[in-house]
Amino acid sequence: MIIGIALFVFPFIYEDRSMLILFTQIFIFAIFAMSYDILLGFTGIVSFGHAMFFGIGAYCVSVMLKHHEPTMLLVTGAISLGVLFSLIISFVVGLMTLRLKSHYYAMLTLALAGLFLVAAEKWRTLTYGNDGFTFQVPEFFHDRLHFYLVCLVLMVIVYFGLKRFIQSPLGRILLAIKDNEQRAESLGYQVLHYKIIASIVAGGIASLSGSLYALSLRFVNTSVFTMDITLDALLMTIIGGVGTLIGPVLGAAIIELAHHWLTGLAKVHWIFERWLILFGIVYILAVMFFPNGIVGSVRKLVSKKEKKEDVSTSENIVKEG
Amino acid sequence: MELFINLTINGLATGMLIFLLAAGLTLIFGLMSVLNFAHGGLFAWGSYAGVWLYLLTNSFIAGIIGAIFIGILLGFITEKWIIQPVYGNHVQQILITLGFMIVLSELLKVIWGPNQIAVTPPAYLTGSWEIGNILIIKYRAFIIVVGLLMYGLIYYMLKHTKIGLIVRAGVINKEMVQSLGINIKRIFLYVFMAGAAMAALSGMLIAPYAGVIHGNMGMEYAILAFIVVVIGGMGNITGSILAATLVGIIGSFMAYYVPELSLAVNMLIMAVVLLFRPQGLFALKG
Repeated sequence: MIIGIALFVFPFIYEDRSMLILFTQIFIFAIFAMSYDILLGFTGIVSFGHAMFFGIGAYCVSVMLKHHEPTMLLVTGAISLGVLFSLIISFVVGLMTLRLKSHYYAMLTLALAGLFLVAAEKWRTLTYGNDGFTFQVPEFFHDRLHFYLVCLVLMVIVYFGLKRFIQSPLGRILLAIKDNEQRAESLGYQVLHYKIIASIVAGGIASLSGSLYALSLRFVNTSVFTMDITLDALLMTIIGGVGTLIGPVLGAAIIELAHHWLTGLAKVHWIFERWLILFGIVYILAVMFFPNGIVGSVRKLVSKKEKKEDVSTSENIVKEG
Repeated sequence: MELFINLTINGLATGMLIFLLAAGLTLIFGLMSVLNFAHGGLFAWGSYAGVWLYLLTNSFIAGIIGAIFIGILLGFITEKWIIQPVYGNHVQQILITLGFMIVLSELLKVIWGPNQIAVTPPAYLTGSWEIGNILIIKYRAFIIVVGLLMYGLIYYMLKHTKIGLIVRAGVINKEMVQSLGINIKRIFLYVFMAGAAMAALSGMLIAPYAGVIHGNMGMEYAILAFIVVVIGGMGNITGSILAATLVGIIGSFMAYYVPELSLAVNMLIMAVVLLFRPQGLFALKG
């Protein structure tokens, strides 16, 4: 809570454009990583195609703003349109693929995201391929500070919205599916339906973050569909803490900040240009030894000290995930 | 007619390369039910290490041997340190092998730089034969021969040696094999190393074929190999070679007639196969 207020006040005290942009980026990726965690951490589905929803959102906004007068109404409409597209696509994709086993699902989503990438590369009249295109944003967003605040507010809304979602009976069933799919099924739950719901929610929110990403860059190219975007979400979620909502936010902050500083260090030594290698290693170690990430591990430590007492029910739910 | 034959040969050569990559993947999956997302990384490592040795010593054979050696070594490391700790947990396996893939391909760029490296075939494999109007590029013929030889070797190993018998039995029921007093973990390790060596060999062979190698080639070809494994059926070598040939030839014809769709078509085939026959077109197990 204190951090949240601090983040609201922060830009008014400390005026630095590049930090403002960096933090905006963190908020956007935090939204994206949280949506990914709905799949990975709360339902136990490994998707390698999450970038496609990100890309759909990004292109929806970009194409709309490119061809029409940029107004706030249009931006809202375009974002909603992107979310709507993503909802439909994630529904169709989920319906087709979620009945497969985990590795087939991972491969199929990888291939589907690849298809979207190829489509975006080839449909040059609309997307201008890998070169991408720039576009105008509404007057209101010309001030970076406004955009920063919008992203922050949206992140907070998404955070509390998803928290509510996870604590609802529906969210509980998702957790049950993650822990033991057979048992959930034998209790009479239609596992496939719940998985599809999870993927629709995740897809819609991913699309929102993609739209914001395009707005923040005022530029879009096919890189929004690449595997790297999915990898980012994966790293942030795993390192921050799978199965918690604050984890992905923390992960997004860590990775974006580290990325920023390490690329800055590239002038000192060229090895810092390959900052991803460091994260790859941390990621592997995290999967092996800290499957719950930073947040999960810290919570475990804290709860051990408190000896199971005074742990509110909400924390319990999150910890179990 | 010439065009048709040329495209077919081209497709066959690509198919053989993908087969070498997919063969390891399919055996590992069939036996250990591990989907190795790092396979493309092993492939790229074989390619870079082999090419480096080839350019250094000017001997193509040395390059191939080097590639196979690095494949075996990396296969050992991967199995021991990456796969074994998370054995039995599918989600963790998928996540961890993907992480290892990142490390491998970034490490590659650290050692050999992020730029492309140009490679040409050795003198005795450059040029082409002319039969009537048909031009057969020597290097492509060489790849097809090597691919068929490797297929023959794997087939022989699987069907006519004791270790092959164990592997085949392991694909069908590994608990039973284990209960008969066979150390299945060691067999896993051998199969993994063999698969990695084949991936590395394929990476080395593709270098002069494609003309250049680059750091992100691992993921590109790994996707093709996944497609082949899915179409061919997990754990089935004959299915793999058929599917690889199919993917190679479709890719080569599509690249000529409708280049926009060449990758998309293969992915569509995979999606359709997964939806209607998830066990693969040529599956052993039902």
